[in-house]
Amino acid sequence: MLKFDNLIAALEAAAENSPFITFWVDEDERETVTFGEFRHRARLHAAVLREQGIDSGDRVVILMPQSITAMVSFAAAMMLGAVPAFLAYPNFKVDPAKYRSGLAGVTANLSAKAVVIAPDFRNEMLDCVALGAETKLIRPGNADKREHVVTVPESTQIAPERLAFIQHSAGTTGLQKGVALTHAAVLGQIEHLAHALRIDPARDRIYSWLPLYHDMGLIACFMLPMVCHVPVVMQSPIDWVMQPESMLQIITESKCTLAWLPNFAFQFVPRRTPPKRWADYDLSSLRLVINCSEPVRASSMREFQTAFHIASGVLQSSYAMAENVFAVTQSEIDAAAPNTLWIDGQQYRTAHRIVPVPQEAPGAVSFTSSGRLLPNQQLRILSDSGGIAADDSVGEIAIQSDCLFTGYYNRPDLTAEAFLDGWYRTGDLGFLFQGELYVVGRKKDLLIVGGENIYPQDIEEIVGAHPAVHDGRAIAMGIYNPEIGTEDIVVVAEVEKYEMLAQSSEIEQQIRRSIVAALGIAVKKFFVVPPKWIVKSTAGKPARSATREKLLQEHPELSPEAINL
Amino acid sequence: MIAYIVQLARKPGLSIDENTPLVSSGLIDSMALVDLLLKLEDLTNRRIPAGKVQPKDMDTVAKMFATAERVGKPRR
Repeated sequence: MLKFDNLIAALEAAAENSPFITFWVDEDERETVTFGEFRHRARLHAAVLREQGIDSGDRVVILMPQSITAMVSFAAAMMLGAVPAFLAYPNFKVDPAKYRSGLAGVTANLSAKAVVIAPDFRNEMLDCVALGAETKLIRPGNADKREHVVTVPESTQIAPERLAFIQHSAGTTGLQKGVALTHAAVLGQIEHLAHALRIDPARDRIYSWLPLYHDMGLIACFMLPMVCHVPVVMQSPIDWVMQPESMLQIITESKCTLAWLPNFAFQFVPRRTPPKRWADYDLSSLRLVINCSEPVRASSMREFQTAFHIASGVLQSSYAMAENVFAVTQSEIDAAAPNTLWIDGQQYRTAHRIVPVPQEAPGAVSFTSSGRLLPNQQLRILSDSGGIAADDSVGEIAIQSDCLFTGYYNRPDLTAEAFLDGWYRTGDLGFLFQGELYVVGRKKDLLIVGGENIYPQDIEEIVGAHPAVHDGRAIAMGIYNPEIGTEDIVVVAEVEKYEMLAQSSEIEQQIRRSIVAALGIAVKKFFVVPPKWIVKSTAGKPARSATREKLLQEHPELSPEAINL
Repeated sequence: MIAYIVQLARKPGLSIDENTPLVSSGLIDSMALVDLLLKLEDLTNRRIPAGKVQPKDMDTVAKMFATAERVGKPRR
C-alpha cells in the first residue's frame, strides 16, 4: 500500500527544515536547500510555468546543466500535473546545428509544450535550441526573486495513474526513446527499493555525480531522496569525470552513506587518483555502494575496495533499467559481497549452458550476481525462439512488474517491438542461478560507455555520411576495455575505392570531428578498411556481430579480456 | 605535455602543437581529461581544484597552461 498518491505529495510531506540537496560547485562553494526551501522555489517556478500556459498533462523539456535549479524546474512542472523530461545539456564540443536537430526531434516526438532553459543560459547556446510551432522557450529568469507565489493545484488533484515524467533510455538524441512513467509506478519502485536498502532518513546521506537524464541519477539520486526525505550531496558529472578524486573528497567531507556507480567507476576512481593520496580519504561512512547499469565485474569492485579500505558488505550490485523505472534486482545487503559463480567456460561458450565448477577448474569463467528480484518483479530467461529457456542456460532477460513502463512515448512501433506476450524484452543476456540474476552481456547492439547507452546507428549514420565511405558501410561497436572498466567505441568504415585508403588518416580525422560535433562522444579506435571488407548479412546489410568477429580476429590486441575475471 | 598527449591518443607520429584542438576534434575523449589534468598538475607543480575547470579550458595545450595559471593553487 503506497503511503502517497503522487510524488508531489511525498515532497509536501517532508519537514520544512530537513536538509535536501547540497550541490558541490567546487571545493570552495556549495549550494544547499532544505526541503522547505526546495518546495518554495518549486512553487515560484510553477507559477512562471503556469503564466506561460503550462497545464496539467503538458510535456515540458528541462534543458539545464546539473543543478538545484534544474531539479526545482522538474518538480515545478510536476506540481502543475505537467510531465517533465530532463535532456542532456549541450556541451561545448557539440555542433549547435546537430544538437538543434536532435532536440527538435525529441520535442516533436514528445509534442513538448515548452523547453525550459537555465536563467543564465548563454545567448550563443540558443543556437542549440530549435522549437516546433507548438513549443515555447521558457527562461525562468528571476523566478526565485518573486514575491508572490501563485497558487498551484493541490497535490491531491494528481491521481496515481497519471504520468509523472518521461525518462530517456539513451544519451544520444537521434533515436531517443521516451519512457513514460506514472506516479504509482515511480512510487512503487521507490517503496520496494527503499525497503530492500533499509533507507533511513535519520542516518542516510546519498552521494551522486550521476546525470539527471539517466535513471540512476534521476530515480536513485533525486526521486528516492525526495520521496524518502533523505539528504543528497551532488556534483556535476563533468566535474566528476575530469577529477574523479573529488568524489573521495566529497564523501569524506559530507560523510555520505550511500551511492550508486556504474562498473567502470570502481576502477576509474582508484586508477585516476595518485596512490600516494589514497590514504588522505576516509570512506568509512559508506554503508552501501551499488554497482549498477553495466555488467558487474568482481575485479573492478576489488580494486576500489582495496584502494580505499572499504569494509566487507558495502559494495553491492543491482540490475536496473529506465523501462522499469529503475531496479529489477538488488543483491542482499547483509551479505559480504554479491555472489560470484564459477562455471565451465567451454559449456558456456559453445552451448550457452551454466555448469558450475570449482574456481580452480581449468577454463573456469566467473560471473558476479546482480542479486534477487525486488518484490513484484518477475523475470524470465528467453531462448532464441522466444520460448522460456531451460533452467541452466543463458538467454534474453524478459521482465514483468507493477512498475514497468506502458510504452515509449508516441512510439507504438517501438513499444510493440519491445514486448512479447506482455513481457518486456530487455535485450540483455543473462541467467538465473539459485534465484539470483547474472547478467552476461547484451543481445541488442547497444553500446554502454561509462554507464550511458549509445545506439550504434547514431554513430554509423554520421560515418556513412562521409563522401569517401561506401554507402551505409559503417559499423560502430563497443569493445570492453579492461583498463578503464567500460567499453571503448570502435568504428569500422569501408571506403568506396581502394585508392582512397591513401587518405585514411584524413578521412578518419574528418569523421572523428563530425561524431564529436554531433554526439559529443569520442571514438577510441577507428579502422578505415578496403571495399567489401565489412561482412554483410543475407539481406545485404552490414552485419555487426560478424564484422566484429572479423575485426577481433584480425586485431587480436582489441580482444576484451577473457570472461575470466 | 605534447609528447604525453601523443602517447595518450595512442597515435605515434601524430603532429600537434600548443593550439591544436584536442577535445573538440575527438582526439581526446572526456574520460582522458583527468589524465591531462594530473599531468598538468605535475608539470606546473600546482594543484588544480575540482569544479573550477571545464572541458573547454583543456581543449589545447596553451589553454591548459593558462588554466593552471588561473585556478591552480600551491600543492598541499
